[in-house]
Amino acid sequence: MAEKTDVWQGTLALMALKTLQAMGPQHGYGLARRIEQTSGDRLQLNYGTLYPALLKLEQEGFIRSRWGVSENNRKAKFYELSKAGQRRVLKAAAEWEQTTEILARFLSPAHEG
Amino acid sequence: MRKLKALWMRLRVLLAGRSEDGEFDAELESHVAMHVEDGVRAGMSAEEARRQALLRLGGAEQTRQAYRERRTLPWLENLVRDVRYALRGFRRNPVFTITAIATLALGIGASTAVFSVVDRILFRGLPYAHDDRLVSVGLVQSLEKQEFTLGGFFYEWRDNQKPFSSMTFERGVNACDLTEANPVQLQCARVAQTFLPTFGISPELGRNFLPEEDLPNGPKVALISDGLWLSRYNRDPRVLNRTIDLDDHPVRILGVLPKDFEMPRLQPADIVLPAAVDVAMQHTVNSGIGYPMWAFARLKPGVSVAEARAEMEPLYLHTQQWIPAQFREEFRLQIRSIRDRQMQDAYTAAWVLLGAVFAVLLISCANVASLFSARGAARQRELAVRSALGASRGRLIRQTLTEALVLSLAGAAAGCVLAELLLRVFIAIAPTGVPFLAAARLDLRIVLFTVLVSIVCAGLCGITPALERPRATALVARSMKSGTHARLRRVLVAAQIAISVVLLSGGSLLVKSFWNLEQQNLGMKTRGVIAVHVPLSGARYTTTQAYMDFYLRAEAALRRLPGVIAVGISDSLPPDANGWHGGTRLADMFVAGKPSTPAGTGGTVVTRNVTPGYFQVLQIPIVAGQGFTEEERRLSDHPMILSRTLAARLFPEENPVGQHIQQATYNPYFTLSGPVYTVVGVAADVKNAGLAGQDDPEYYTLRRDNADDWSAHAVIVLETTLPVSVVAPWIRTQIAQIDSTAPAEIETLTQTVNRLADRPRFETALLGFFALCGLLMAVIGLYGVIAFMAAQRTQEIGVRMALGATRMDILRLIAGEGVRLIVLGGVVGLGAALAAAQLLKSLLFHVGTHDPVSFIAVTLLLALVALAATLIPARAAMNTDPMNALRVE
Repeated sequence: MAEKTDVWQGTLALMALKTLQAMGPQHGYGLARRIEQTSGDRLQLNYGTLYPALLKLEQEGFIRSRWGVSENNRKAKFYELSKAGQRRVLKAAAEWEQTTEILARFLSPAHEG
Repeated sequence: MRKLKALWMRLRVLLAGRSEDGEFDAELESHVAMHVEDGVRAGMSAEEARRQALLRLGGAEQTRQAYRERRTLPWLENLVRDVRYALRGFRRNPVFTITAIATLALGIGASTAVFSVVDRILFRGLPYAHDDRLVSVGLVQSLEKQEFTLGGFFYEWRDNQKPFSSMTFERGVNACDLTEANPVQLQCARVAQTFLPTFGISPELGRNFLPEEDLPNGPKVALISDGLWLSRYNRDPRVLNRTIDLDDHPVRILGVLPKDFEMPRLQPADIVLPAAVDVAMQHTVNSGIGYPMWAFARLKPGVSVAEARAEMEPLYLHTQQWIPAQFREEFRLQIRSIRDRQMQDAYTAAWVLLGAVFAVLLISCANVASLFSARGAARQRELAVRSALGASRGRLIRQTLTEALVLSLAGAAAGCVLAELLLRVFIAIAPTGVPFLAAARLDLRIVLFTVLVSIVCAGLCGITPALERPRATALVARSMKSGTHARLRRVLVAAQIAISVVLLSGGSLLVKSFWNLEQQNLGMKTRGVIAVHVPLSGARYTTTQAYMDFYLRAEAALRRLPGVIAVGISDSLPPDANGWHGGTRLADMFVAGKPSTPAGTGGTVVTRNVTPGYFQVLQIPIVAGQGFTEEERRLSDHPMILSRTLAARLFPEENPVGQHIQQATYNPYFTLSGPVYTVVGVAADVKNAGLAGQDDPEYYTLRRDNADDWSAHAVIVLETTLPVSVVAPWIRTQIAQIDSTAPAEIETLTQTVNRLADRPRFETALLGFFALCGLLMAVIGLYGVIAFMAAQRTQEIGVRMALGATRMDILRLIAGEGVRLIVLGGVVGLGAALAAAQLLKSLLFHVGTHDPVSFIAVTLLLALVALAATLIPARAAMNTDPMNALRVE
């Protein structure tokens, strides 16, 4: 699948949370690039949609934000996972796995029999 | 939970009101800068890298917008903006705002208050299971219009009836004494064992009587009311099976009645006892007709009251044999729903009030509708401008609806306050006879209903201009004409005038009727007359001698008081016909040497047993012969004084004085064993059948100093030159000296008579109030429409004047429109009012339903007020300066 895929609705938040869990505090741009890298550059993010999604997570208390300095000595806003966010990642990941597993069964050739 | 938290965060940002856009701008800037740096590092030019960065962002402005929408609540932000805008608009146009709010408040307030009152009367649920199936069954006759029955009838009905699933009875409520520690007097009801099951009442604690407990000489048991359980036993469940002393007999408590328990005839009752009627005795006791009782029944499913009456009629005719032949004809069977029995004539008044309120609500809605429609028309231009500037249709509609909502809510808030106030006034001025009024509370459902109605009114009318595609012409048009709006407003105004004619004529009929009632001649003096009731306890006064001793001592003591001119004693007082008073039938009066009046004719005769002072105190003139004298009190003669009407009835051509009259008694069968009375005089007529009733003939017998002439029925009247506040304490002292336990109830006769007029006063005050509200609102509406029309035509007026129209022409032009509406509304209203007046018939006293004076007065009043409302704006238009008018806009 060489073509770049858009991000499905609702999965962006999970990707952001998972990435923050893996990388620790990160600013918006870094987070966006990291998500793209993790997908093996198969995802093309609309960076503009990332910020409202982060704001929503912050309002819901899953992440926190503070101003800091980037590796290039640039002022940037850093996001990090809260306790609730940690729990959320585990739960959402488990749910997602279950969903994909079920879907996989439907789509696997064995099911046709 | 998380969602709520997010909502709260967003709301906080909104409430804080300060813009944090700067922070996001900084974040966005740092994002773009980092992206550009990466781009440059990858070999792009700085410009190209920046272009790419913004492209990947999906546009800086769009991102900002999306962020902002997530940060706060955009719809709420819009709403707040709309509300602010609406408030600004209202401030600019205070007349419109105040009129609309006042109209809404009046409409919502008045209708809510009245509905809260009427609801209890018309729609109150009775505390019985399926109360619509419950009926009251009994006999009525000319002297007793509230159906009752007798043991001799009841059991035969109960055993042979078909339309009812069960029949039961109560035997009334009497005072009873709880004679244990802390004795109190209570009210004890006696009911059949089937009473609670028939009404579908189950005790909240314990059980109903068993059939074997409802037998004569059965075990003594009782159910107590929830109130008594609380006040005396503090809701102690161990009250069950406790034995209490009731009138010195041990009685076992079986259960506690539910909190909302009430007797079907609404008597207060603390204790319910089994009636324990001896069925076998019902054809021997009380002259063979049995004990008096009040019967109730539950209709079988599907049986109507009328069908039940038809089915019971043959059974009733069969039992008629128990009624003495002389008045068999006078009795008939009556079956009606319990609700009818409880509400009596409160029904008509309640429906009339409800109608009046509905009319006021209609007027207020029409007013709000025409106000908003006028405003909408005036704002067409503004809407066109906003639409041209890019406001979407939805946005404009939302804006208009917000305005209607804000205004309606303000009106509703004011209306609720007004409703609460009105309700308090109603309760304060209401007569005691209106059932459940004191317990009336503001009904939230109806508050909501009226508020919704007004919002819909305002909304629909406000929204129409926004719905119409704003025409480009509205932007440039120098004068605005909106035909449909203008027509709608005219129809609304004419309708308002019509409705207020109906209200006003109803109001004026009641006012005139009330005036007649107040002004009529009672035939006796009420000013300076004080009535003293002393309810003596039957336990202490066991003989008629004891009563006589008490009252004779009281009479002597009161006579000695300073300022007291005369003292009299009677067994009852006119003009009230509902209180206890003696009565007989004309057919039962036998004049010596004359044939008797045919049975069943002649109607009822009021009788009073009075001392000579009675005529003196009430200043009832003796028109022939002479009055009773003090000497006669000590003789054993039986003198009698006839009222003028009775004298004319019995002796159309002879002199009544000196005639001998005997009174038939039934014991159980007709006898003429009573004393022979000698007519000594004829007294002028006194109003004796209520204020509105047709006078009945009346006779007076002398209350002699003989124990036979005395009973618990006694009231002292005295004439005094001093105010009641001065005399009352003296009277109390005197009575207390004779019997310190006897409470004296002191009231001026004027108060007593006034109380009789309470009900018509209440009805008149309410309907009058609504009529005036309606008129006021209709006039406001008329004024508004004419003024608005005149303002819109300012330019036209200028042109006309410039072309030579005189001021009179202009006046005619503007006022003519108003006059057309007044005439149209007036004629339609008069027609409706004449029809509606029929409904008031039973409430009117000495006024025809088509009383010409009332209708002409209403028409004139309306015409005058409406003309004034038209002339004010018309005059303003007339005085327009043509130069200014042409320069407008």
